[in-house]
Amino acid sequence: MTQLNIPIESTTLPNGLRVVISPDRAAPVATLGVYYNIGFRIEPRGRSGFAHLFEHMMFQGSANAGKMVHIKLINSSGGVLNGSTHYDVTNYYESVPSNALERVLWLEADRMRALKVDDENLRNQRDVVKEEVRVNVLNQPYGGFPWLDLPPIAYRSWSNAHNFYGDFDDLDAATLDDVQNFFKTYYAPSNAVLLILGDADADEVIKLAERHFASIPSGPQPAPADIDEPPQIEERRALVEEKFGTLPGVAIGYQSPRRLTPEWHAAAMLDQALHGGRAGRVYRRLVLEQQIAVDAEGGIHYPVGDLFDYNGPTLMVTRLLHKPEYSVDQTIAAYDQIIAEMKEKGITAEELEPIKVKFRSNYFSMLEGGHGASIPRYGLMHLLACFSLFDNDPQLVNTILDGFMEVTPQAVQSVAQKLLTRHNRSIAIRQPAKKGAA
Amino acid sequence: MASAPRSELPAAVPPLTPARPVIWPPRVHKTLSNGLEVVLVESHTIPKFTGELFFRSGNAVAIAKAPGLADMTATVARTGTLKRSSREIEEDLRRMGSDLSSGAGADTSVISFAGLVEFSNGLLGLVSELAQQANFPEDEFERERRQLIEGLRIERTTPGFLASERLRRVLFGAHPYGTISPTEVQVTSYRVEQLKEFYQRYYRPGNALLVMVGDFSPQAMLAQIESAFGSWASGPVEEAPDPALPELPGRRVYLVHLPGSVQTQISVGNRAITRKHPDWLRLTLANSIYGGAFNSRLVMNIREEKGYTYSPHSGAHPMRQHGYFSIGAAVRNDVVAATLTEIFYEIDRMRSTPVGEEELDDARSYLTGVFSLGLATQDGLAGQLATSTLEKLPDDYLETYRERVLKLTSADVLDAAQKYFDSAHAQIVIVGDRAEIESQAAQFGKPEVYDAQGNRI
Repeated sequence: MTQLNIPIESTTLPNGLRVVISPDRAAPVATLGVYYNIGFRIEPRGRSGFAHLFEHMMFQGSANAGKMVHIKLINSSGGVLNGSTHYDVTNYYESVPSNALERVLWLEADRMRALKVDDENLRNQRDVVKEEVRVNVLNQPYGGFPWLDLPPIAYRSWSNAHNFYGDFDDLDAATLDDVQNFFKTYYAPSNAVLLILGDADADEVIKLAERHFASIPSGPQPAPADIDEPPQIEERRALVEEKFGTLPGVAIGYQSPRRLTPEWHAAAMLDQALHGGRAGRVYRRLVLEQQIAVDAEGGIHYPVGDLFDYNGPTLMVTRLLHKPEYSVDQTIAAYDQIIAEMKEKGITAEELEPIKVKFRSNYFSMLEGGHGASIPRYGLMHLLACFSLFDNDPQLVNTILDGFMEVTPQAVQSVAQKLLTRHNRSIAIRQPAKKGAA
Repeated sequence: MASAPRSELPAAVPPLTPARPVIWPPRVHKTLSNGLEVVLVESHTIPKFTGELFFRSGNAVAIAKAPGLADMTATVARTGTLKRSSREIEEDLRRMGSDLSSGAGADTSVISFAGLVEFSNGLLGLVSELAQQANFPEDEFERERRQLIEGLRIERTTPGFLASERLRRVLFGAHPYGTISPTEVQVTSYRVEQLKEFYQRYYRPGNALLVMVGDFSPQAMLAQIESAFGSWASGPVEEAPDPALPELPGRRVYLVHLPGSVQTQISVGNRAITRKHPDWLRLTLANSIYGGAFNSRLVMNIREEKGYTYSPHSGAHPMRQHGYFSIGAAVRNDVVAATLTEIFYEIDRMRSTPVGEEELDDARSYLTGVFSLGLATQDGLAGQLATSTLEKLPDDYLETYRERVLKLTSADVLDAAQKYFDSAHAQIVIVGDRAEIESQAAQFGKPEVYDAQGNRI
């Protein structure tokens, strides 16, 4: 097995901004990102969707760069940019030819320093966000299934359970004051990490980071959101109407172990045994052999994240679309048979070893890409950011595989017996509003 | 390129430093004695490799027999060989840390794969088996057929699919490019013999291209490829039919009625050109200024100024025989007419007024920069090599791309816009709830209305 030795330099500026650099000078391009430790799960109570709406506002103008200047400067430097909101982090990132590196740092520093936006910008982006919700959720077959369906079924705390994309009433209620207060509370340098990957010299980049970011004033650490959950004691189920799609959908989510624990390592291998593509037990049994389902996917923190990019409760999810001639109960019964076998008989070393090989291979691919071919090393950036913000240890990127490679068949069976119980799961059922199309 | 002064930009913006040249990794381009064309490039970013085995025959070549036949052939080809069952194939892939997928578009069929370099021999052996010894088990075929039918039913509820389907039909009519998907009835009448026949005829080394990029030495990899594919027997190669394209009347409006839609998918298009056409780069640059980048006119207008939509875009789509240009946006129902007005306003501006030096310079830099980004990953490199080789573009096409873009002028952009952004003959497709949008559509012409199954209503 290849021992990973990705070069990683890191430092913390006096204002609390963490800086992580991973140089690789093979191609003259660089990927940069700023991650803030705020996401849609941990946004303020009663303001559903605000973290994501705010992400849009970060492109609307900052201290010295007005609306569109960020986008224009990056595109005209030959680069691409975007941002995205996750459970516990929000990111802003650019990939550029490396001669634009300092320009990008200047832009990111400028919007960490101050946001300069007006009511018109807010109205505009509120409209844009509503169309985003419509195109991704309200006007698509299986939109939001199950990433928006399961949390309100599975969780009791507002943070874990609410509508992450936002109720339109809450989006409408957002004011410019809310925007500036949110910025003040969550966008201080001490709540962020700056990442630079690719064609850059570590010492030079640290100097540049100091030049542009060191004078941004620090702020108090935001109060942590309440994401504690009472222990689940019974299976939870709910029906959700499927407005467009023709097949019934079933999503099953089990409360998953805490990150970076031996149980989490074992759960990841269990997840691969169940959901590892067409060789995984769920797809093989339900789609290929019994042919009850026509699609089966799943994973830990699936489908809007992965094993690494959350910092609190999450689910191991199975998502099924099944044939209409099978009832939901028959489908779940067939699924339960797979789960029962895993708990009773466990997994052999002959099954586990290939799973580890595939896991390692997937991990390498994630480091390189993860966002198509347009953002080189997006995956490595994402991991470095999460390990910095959640664990204060970006070097985990080089060692995290070890724990998974040491998992034994017994550990997989034990974690299956512990996690895969009825009282530990929630089920969302998408029922098509109309009969299958002729 | 030197930049013109940018009065509107803040003075403190750091200048670009001198650019480091893009160094192309050396590539091995070889044709084996049986005709298999091979392109190999080293890339040591991760201890993996990625590959694509293309056949220069896709759904278009067999459209007279059945639409989608090439895609179904590729799908079932991965489910069994003379030596391995479906389950063995999937478990062998996992054992080798590999991913594999197969499918077909209009012009090509492809088996795509990626894996750990330590298993390259085994994975190449499996790919070779899928390409030469697939045995199309009847039960696997029937299962895939049912999955395809269920998938088609869901596609018929998806606004983006319905818009693409109608636009392609309108632009290309009875030409194979006019059909992007089979009907349920057509899938029901597929026979496994048709798949086998397609496979025997077109999965041949003289019709194939193997592109691989990864953490290997090209010479050593070439030896592995020779041993995996060298004994594959060649066969004749045939071109897809290219029947006459329909005459496009003036601007026409097509409405696909999807009841209950809370948004409208707009798609506007013209026929355009292939990548081999001398105007290709001009069109690419014009598209990038019009709606192909975040910093483009269309995005600024209907997203950042007006807030009509989240994801407006335009694109030039080259296929082997023809191409088309399209503009898309999903908008709220009450601004369908307003959005179309802006789409045409921006088209007409591109056609009538030369692009200024600064906007031109920005767009050229954007295209060349994004091109460089695409070389920094194994997948990106493989994609660019596949495109240039499949289309039989000049050997130095990729190496000279940047300088050719940087030479384009404002007159080139104007010329491309006038030829290919043909507003007078643009075909307009809108997908949404008829009651909400028909009167708005009618401002642009009397709509022909279809249901989601493709029937005229």
